[in-house]
Amino acid sequence: MLRISGLSAGYHGGTVLHDLDLDVPEGSVHAVVGHNGAGKTTLVHTVAGLLRPATGTVEVAGRDVTGRPAHRIARAGVGLVPQGRRVFARLTVAEHIRLAHRPPRAAGGARPWTPQRVLDLLPRLGERSTHRGTDLSGGEQQMLALARALLGSPRVLLLDEPTEGLAPVLVGQILDLVGTLAGEGLAVLLVSPSPASAAQCADTVTVLTSGRVTARLDGPAVRKDPAELHEAMALTAH
Amino acid sequence: MGALDAQLVPAVDGVAYGLLLFVVAAGLSLAFGTAGVLNLAHGTLYAVGAYTGAELSDGTWGGLVLGLVAGTAAACAAGAVLSAATAPLARRGHLDQALLTFGLALIGGNLLVEGFGADEMPVRVPDALDTSVDLLGHRYPAYRLGFIVMAVALAAVGTWVLTRTRAGAAVRAAADDPEMLATTGLSPRVVHTGVLAAAGALAGAAGVLGAPIIGPGPSTGDTVLMLSLVVVVLGGLRSLWATLVAAIGVGEVQTLGVSVAPDWAPYLLFAAMAVVLILRSGRGLAEPHGPEHGADPPPDPAERLRRRLARVPWPWRPALAERRAKAAARTAAKAAAADGGGARTGSGRVAAAARAAAPLLALIAVLALLPTVLDAYSLSLAGYALALGLLAVSVTVVTGYAGLPTLGQTAPFAVGAYTTAKLAENDWTVGPVQVAISAVAAAAFCVVTGPAVIRARGTTVLMITVAVGELTAIAIGQWKSVTGGTDGLAGFPSTQAFWGGEPLFEELAIYQYAAVVVVCVVAVALVLLRSPAGKLLTGSREAEERMRASGHPVTRYLLVAYVGAGALAGAGGSLLIAVQSYVSPADVGFEIAALALLAAVIGGITSVIGALVGAGLIVYTRDWLAGSWPGHGPLLLGVLFVAAVYLLPRGLAGLVSGAPRAAAAGGGDDKGGHDAGEGGPAGRPGGAGRLPAPRSPADAGPPEPADAGSPVRVRKGPT
Repeated sequence: MLRISGLSAGYHGGTVLHDLDLDVPEGSVHAVVGHNGAGKTTLVHTVAGLLRPATGTVEVAGRDVTGRPAHRIARAGVGLVPQGRRVFARLTVAEHIRLAHRPPRAAGGARPWTPQRVLDLLPRLGERSTHRGTDLSGGEQQMLALARALLGSPRVLLLDEPTEGLAPVLVGQILDLVGTLAGEGLAVLLVSPSPASAAQCADTVTVLTSGRVTARLDGPAVRKDPAELHEAMALTAH
Repeated sequence: MGALDAQLVPAVDGVAYGLLLFVVAAGLSLAFGTAGVLNLAHGTLYAVGAYTGAELSDGTWGGLVLGLVAGTAAACAAGAVLSAATAPLARRGHLDQALLTFGLALIGGNLLVEGFGADEMPVRVPDALDTSVDLLGHRYPAYRLGFIVMAVALAAVGTWVLTRTRAGAAVRAAADDPEMLATTGLSPRVVHTGVLAAAGALAGAAGVLGAPIIGPGPSTGDTVLMLSLVVVVLGGLRSLWATLVAAIGVGEVQTLGVSVAPDWAPYLLFAAMAVVLILRSGRGLAEPHGPEHGADPPPDPAERLRRRLARVPWPWRPALAERRAKAAARTAAKAAAADGGGARTGSGRVAAAARAAAPLLALIAVLALLPTVLDAYSLSLAGYALALGLLAVSVTVVTGYAGLPTLGQTAPFAVGAYTTAKLAENDWTVGPVQVAISAVAAAAFCVVTGPAVIRARGTTVLMITVAVGELTAIAIGQWKSVTGGTDGLAGFPSTQAFWGGEPLFEELAIYQYAAVVVVCVVAVALVLLRSPAGKLLTGSREAEERMRASGHPVTRYLLVAYVGAGALAGAGGSLLIAVQSYVSPADVGFEIAALALLAAVIGGITSVIGALVGAGLIVYTRDWLAGSWPGHGPLLLGVLFVAAVYLLPRGLAGLVSGAPRAAAAGGGDDKGGHDAGEGGPAGRPGGAGRLPAPRSPADAGPPEPADAGSPVRVRKGPT
């Protein structure tokens, strides 16, 4: 569903990601782990179109979206839950939902997301519908960011450190939710500095070091024996 | 009760006036808050509506409706054009966009005068409304009451759209975080265009309906823009209700205030604006996410074109590799010289000194040669350009070096000019004495106004300095006994170049005097700016937090810079008197402030010599070129503004130092920037533009060394 090949990207003058290949099939969770500065957020932003890649291609559902502006990529079926949530400070929850709701252009395989369906999944948002983005707790903001991404009925969901700064119980909930969403056919790219949380729901785990893929592990195997992943992370510490 | 009753009519007038301003200012505020465009052409959009409405008004309802439709559509289209024009500059920050819109406003204003004539146009309201009605025992024009109803309806519809519809939510989301709006599948660019078009439509509709209140004429655009700016500042960008209250307040000052306290009303607006800004400066005027940060959009077309041109191997331009090699050699030589320390050879020192003085020597050479090629009239213009040039240098110091974008250096300029005029009236005609006393007076003025200016950052400074400039201009206009009011001062004895010298009458003598003063003043400024003190200023512009953390009293540095710049402007004001022998408020008004800022920007914002050249270019365009095409001075100036913003993103200094440096990219250690010679950074590697958008601490990256090779950055309020 999401296919990245030979991707390089960076900021003024410096390349952060080097020749990266990545494949996220429909209905699976691909976790990318790495230390700070490894290029995780750069990867997510490049896929979402917030950053233009220097080389390489990004394909969504077989369509080449490389270098398209962010809103086009969103319409091609990419939803983003950014690091730090970035909910709209001056919009209420209800307005977020209204703004983000976009019936899918082409009938995809998956059931489209409606405000009602999102509220059923995240009932807490329904209770807070008149609150502004910044008046929500961290967990609620995360739910709202997720709802905002889902309401475009994406086929690829990008999650940038979705468990950052959340209480352990919420972390578990969010990761369960990720598993559920993948079960419904979404291709999920989850980026996280923490190998434990990434491994919890991933089908594949990629270790990113200084913008390069240094290990690629099988999710279930990692869950059975996390030693290999920890080793891969430790090896790449510096 | 009697007093209250007597003031009823102006009070109701104030409501009408206030609602008119609200509709206009709401658009201005929306455009700034959402698209980050400080639209100085907003008043012109009103004028478009007003002229269209007046042209089509024929005393019938049909005429009014036709005018409303046509005026709204025209202004809406103009707003869309503005959006298209400013979009390529989105990454360069607010100042470039503001200058561009000012240029377009000049062009638009000139075209309107061209099309509709230079006189105020009469407006015929529908006959049914062309009567007066009884309002609590007073006769009151029916149209104004009708206008109040229509303006309320307009404001209500606008507010409803903004707060209750999905489109409105998109607009507010775009103001918050354009990138996240994009990830929901909506184009921030489309939203920005929509906002500017809608703001234009509102201004146009207000222009048509409000034409009987603020009628179409050559000064309509400026009047409406200034008043709207005041409203936006007082309202504070955050809430429409606050904007409404501010608009009614300004409306009441303009009507009730003038009726109750005619002497004080003019001050009230800008004083209130200054007070609000100063009180708020801790938080700043909510700086919008103007430039679409991060989202590396395709480089703007102008930039692309320039890069392409830079790659063309022009015959007169050394090959790129050769230039780079030279630059590298220079850097290496410098490093070696620095390492050598005491062991530095004598010839090396001489060469270094020569290089440092090269721009000044070039200036002297050009100034010395000018009289041989110019006729007497052009020479007098050149003298005026020198006076304006000092003002531009002063803007360069404040905007480029201290990082405080200013439209208010005309205030110390005015203080200098009027000081010299008063000195001359009292027979103190010796030039150096006039210059020195004027500079001191202007500096003293800046000591007083400085604390209000230097606490703020970014666009807030621009607004505060506008207020300072306007208040000064108003004070000059009001204080007739000293300043001669709007008539100005004239008829005082001419300046002598030195003690016992002949009074300066001849154009050549005046020019020579001005040139000598400018060279001396600029030399002093250059020495100071290149001294360690200048480096401290650069450091506090680039990395204010870090300088503070290192124990530097940044605020004091800024005050010193502001006061020093004031002295420069004062000296320029003194020259103005020597050159043209009269002064009026028009010589020190907002337009001159904008011209000075443009001159500094043309020069490259941190280039002292560039600012002088920029001033020369402006005077050449406005007075000399326009002489051969009468009545089109503003049009030519507007074109100059537009061309300068698009084609010279790093100013003339950027041309001299060469575009290819942009390719060198990388860190701020590229000291080659000094080789442009004007004592400052010539440009930003990586083509980030002359005044990149304020960076938030989050993406500031590793702190750069506080050297002069770093990018110019407009200060931003604490976040």
